[in-house]
Amino acid sequence: MKTPREILLKRHQAVEPKLDAIRNNVVREGRRAAVPEFRVAGTATLPMSIWRELIFPCRRIWAGLAAVWIVILAVNLSMRDHSPAVAMKSPPTSEMIMAWRQQQQLLTELIGPNETRAAAPPKPFAPQPRSEGRLEILIT
Amino acid sequence: MLVVAEREQLPVPQARAGEPAAWDALFHRYQLPLYVYVFELVHDEQASLDLVQETFIAAVRHIGGLRDDAKFGSWLFGIAHQKCAQRWRKQNREEVLREEITESPDELETGPDDFLIRQEQEAEFMNLMNQLPLPQRAVLLLYYIENFSLEEIARITDIPLGTVKSRLHHAKRALRKLVLENEDKS
Repeated sequence: MKTPREILLKRHQAVEPKLDAIRNNVVREGRRAAVPEFRVAGTATLPMSIWRELIFPCRRIWAGLAAVWIVILAVNLSMRDHSPAVAMKSPPTSEMIMAWRQQQQLLTELIGPNETRAAAPPKPFAPQPRSEGRLEILIT
Repeated sequence: MLVVAEREQLPVPQARAGEPAAWDALFHRYQLPLYVYVFELVHDEQASLDLVQETFIAAVRHIGGLRDDAKFGSWLFGIAHQKCAQRWRKQNREEVLREEITESPDELETGPDDFLIRQEQEAEFMNLMNQLPLPQRAVLLLYYIENFSLEEIARITDIPLGTVKSRLHHAKRALRKLVLENEDKS
């Protein structure tokens, strides 16, 4: 009587020499070439480790974010070309000047000439001695 | 008898530090289970050997991405599973991975080793295993070969936990039925 695991592993035991060869090959190749990967874990540079741990695992998300920003930038630039700020820089046409003058004229008719009323001059202040009033009271 | 090595004894930190001997020990520990898993999915010896080799190379390359050393086994099987999925994509066999079972059992039966198989049943056991749909077979193999937890199987196969439960439930039920039928006949 055997467990499923025992059956499965025993069934493929004949292939072990081939697996040994593959294992030795991968380990030997790594050692001989001093494959960066064999040492990279201990001596990884900061940009490499950032790339491997922060960017690479979520590369699709980062790419999506970059694409969204590019679209936003493109839309922004295309809208800026036709914005009112750009139009204001062009010189006013004669029609615009005429309309503006008509508006000014109409405004003048409605609220009268643009004059400010002269303010009444302040009364001259003639100071009186305070003691005079009190003296009259005392006399009476 | 083949015994599953203790996971905590694996020299993952040394491998991470770049010691070839540690890699050799790790690969020696997992080479056969990994091959069995891949072979039972692709059914091609040379392709399976190639996929195991690619998995080893990818493991060396990406060991920096392994967060928990205790999860080395499931991480390695995850790489192998991805390699198999890439192969299926190349063969336009993606539909085999999309097979879904809607009903999800609340409880699973007891562990995978709760029934033993007699020698005369081995061939039939393997035959039935091969008749299972690929997604169910993958889950069942991971459960049998390395006794991975449901969470680990979900991570390896990149499917929700509920789907793992339902696939395992159906696969085990089918196997159990066969074993019982054969017992009745004998």
